[in-house]
Amino acid sequence: MHHAYIDKFAYQDSPIHRLDARVKFVITVVFTAVVISLPRTTVSILFCYAVGPFVVLVMGGIPLRFVLKHILYVSPFVLVLALTSPWYDRTAATIIFGPWIWHTTVGWMRCWSILGKFVVTMLALIALISTTRFANLLAGLQQLGVPRLLVIQMGFLYRYIFLLIDSAHHILRARAARSAGGVAFGRGAKFAAAMVGSLFVRSIDTAEHINSAMQARGFDGNWRTINRLQVRVVDYVFVAIAVSFILGLYLFVKPLLG
Amino acid sequence: MHMANELLSVPVAAGTLAIAAGGLGLICRKVSKIVSSDKLPLMGILGAFIFAAQMVNFQLPAMPGTSGHMVGAVLLAIILGPHLAAIVISSVIIVQCLIFQDGGLLALGCNIINMALVPSYVGYFLYKVVTAGQSSSRRTYIGAMLACLVALETGAVLVPVEAALSGVLAVPFSTFLVTMIGVHFLVGLVEGLVTVAVLSYLQQVRPDLVLDSLPGKIRLSRKTVLVTLLVFAMIAAAGLSLLASKMPDGLEWSYRERPNQPDFKPIIANENTTITAVDQLQSKYTLLPDYTMRGASADTSKGWTSFAGVSGSLLTMLVVWAGMSLMRRKQAKTLSSS
Amino acid sequence: MVKAIEVENFSYKYPDGTIALNGVTLDVEYGERLALIGPNGAGKSTLLLAITGFVRGTGRVVIDGMGITNGNLKKVRSRIGCCLENPEDQLFMPTLFDDVAFGPLNMGLDSQQVKQRVNLALAEVGLAGMAERAPHHLSAGQKRAAAIATVLSMSPKIITLDEPDGSLDPRNRDNLVKLLAGLSQTLVIATCNMDFAAAVSDKAAVIDGGRVIAAGPAEQIMSDSKLMTSHGLEVPRKFINGYSAA
Repeated sequence: MHHAYIDKFAYQDSPIHRLDARVKFVITVVFTAVVISLPRTTVSILFCYAVGPFVVLVMGGIPLRFVLKHILYVSPFVLVLALTSPWYDRTAATIIFGPWIWHTTVGWMRCWSILGKFVVTMLALIALISTTRFANLLAGLQQLGVPRLLVIQMGFLYRYIFLLIDSAHHILRARAARSAGGVAFGRGAKFAAAMVGSLFVRSIDTAEHINSAMQARGFDGNWRTINRLQVRVVDYVFVAIAVSFILGLYLFVKPLLG
Repeated sequence: MHMANELLSVPVAAGTLAIAAGGLGLICRKVSKIVSSDKLPLMGILGAFIFAAQMVNFQLPAMPGTSGHMVGAVLLAIILGPHLAAIVISSVIIVQCLIFQDGGLLALGCNIINMALVPSYVGYFLYKVVTAGQSSSRRTYIGAMLACLVALETGAVLVPVEAALSGVLAVPFSTFLVTMIGVHFLVGLVEGLVTVAVLSYLQQVRPDLVLDSLPGKIRLSRKTVLVTLLVFAMIAAAGLSLLASKMPDGLEWSYRERPNQPDFKPIIANENTTITAVDQLQSKYTLLPDYTMRGASADTSKGWTSFAGVSGSLLTMLVVWAGMSLMRRKQAKTLSSS
Repeated sequence: MVKAIEVENFSYKYPDGTIALNGVTLDVEYGERLALIGPNGAGKSTLLLAITGFVRGTGRVVIDGMGITNGNLKKVRSRIGCCLENPEDQLFMPTLFDDVAFGPLNMGLDSQQVKQRVNLALAEVGLAGMAERAPHHLSAGQKRAAAIATVLSMSPKIITLDEPDGSLDPRNRDNLVKLLAGLSQTLVIATCNMDFAAAVSDKAAVIDGGRVIAAGPAEQIMSDSKLMTSHGLEVPRKFINGYSAA
């Protein structure tokens, strides 16, 4: 199943995995913001920016096939968005790229730029998620000021998504087993409602059980955790490299490439 | 629907993120004062439930090949109250963004506003207005239906508004707006149907859940409702007025002057001098674009720099990848031999 | 003399009026391993809920010398740890470490002590070095062991386990038997698998219809084929020829 394996690489070990979650998160946000703020028709500089997350992914031992497959999986919406550009902007443009010269339109440049930005920012996000354990990311978010209630909430959410997605799959399989081929809309909606409803009731029961498990272990309303994050010298080195990479490209290479 | 990074400019992303963070912070503070700690697992699980429920899809009428699924904000708002619903749905959106890469990191603020905050409060408010405290099932169903339709539409309308504020739209604003409204009318209808059906299912199986008695439900005071609506109205008004001044025609590329194309006429002449000034300023300080306009003297050197940049980057990636692969293989060998 | 668990004439009705437990009296000495056996719906789980203070009825329940009241619930639960039927409910944190640390942290221990306890508990159930794993990445057997570790880390005197052998394959069940055999705590184990019950207990109590039908040494109770079959149970393989031969 697709979902259960999404974070499987976060539990590997590598120098990248060992970096502080806060550092990785903030760098990812800055990187994304800078890439998105690049002019709307640039393409070539995006290749340079791709080097950053690419190196992180490779050093983290994340298989590139997994990354590409995942980017494809989430791309449909952006693909549609990108493909509308050539339609609405047909100003002619000429691209000179090394020995080649292409005649195209500004719309197409925008289209490629949107796709390029999408791929590069996705590379960065996947690099973050597949080299950072979610528990550490949550701890990091809390220290960066995200309300504790929301952090606890996301912890439970992350823990039980996989379980409930499995339940949903079981229910869907049961439906598929009983409905050969298509189902009329009315019955389909009714089925869907019963499925969603039973999932809901099941979720509430699970919540009650968890509550008991928490009470049984002495939970009294104060959420206590141990600080699991620690910034080391390596983290400062990483920040220095990442910042000089992002800024260096922006200030020096971008004007050159135009 | 999830907003993407590519539809936003950094200032709009930052602004919406600030609004979303402020809103969520306020709600969290309020909720943690009122709600007892044994609701924590309940909220978490319901977030996971929303995830799972979104996988349950069914065939849409008259649209072969497409299927609808529910989003759940209004359902949760009706059952849990708007505060908890807003927190639960926001956490779902954040986790979707981080773990499943749905919607971009920069678009998080927009997505939380459009899909969590607005639908939860608008939906709850409408539902309350229609049901008016009575629990007749007809009122419940009409209320839920209307709440879904309006809540989803409101959220959907915000997408083109935010994109237009960012000035990133290639599509004319009006086209985008109409498309979003149209599509989300259908989506809202489906959401409404499912929500109503789920409510009626729950009324049969666990009537205690629907009748306002689920632990953790918070009722809104009239004052809170009014204040929330006022704040939303102000945000909407501010957004629209900004939009009106910034996007007179929607086809923002068409009013830009093209010095290399003397015969080029803007499709719609732009009378607004501020905008032309801003544009000129922008074009002055924006670094050279990646393309050369037709008719410009072919700047071959630029082409070669781009070429060098791209091929250099690709080469770097190849070298890094090959180096790491070699190192891994060596490591595996020494491990297996020792 | 203080006993680990004393239940005297305890009765409990569900909110809908169904009688779940009807005048249960049962004693458990320190160090005993008691198997609660009985058919589905006999009241085994409810009895476990009663001795962990989740279900309050009429009669007396005394844990480690303390009668359960609203005031001392937290203290009682630091003496008696309970493993729920489904380990997914027991493991609710994003990592195994957080799950095992949850109890000790609530006991107010400092982080050094908590870490020490977590490592000890994980080592005891054979999950040493897996603290940073997420629960959804564990196998069924590992989840069961992890659930026990979450209780062990609080170093309780008594541990209750509700159907701990549920959905385990034979190998994992064997591992669980070995794990339980290695524990020094007083154990109360509800199960409807008689072979499992025979393997892990030295005392047994037959529960049916919300009552304790018989209680005594495991071998004596479980080799009584008349008693066992009349309550929908069976004599475990271990005792089929074993009683007279031994």
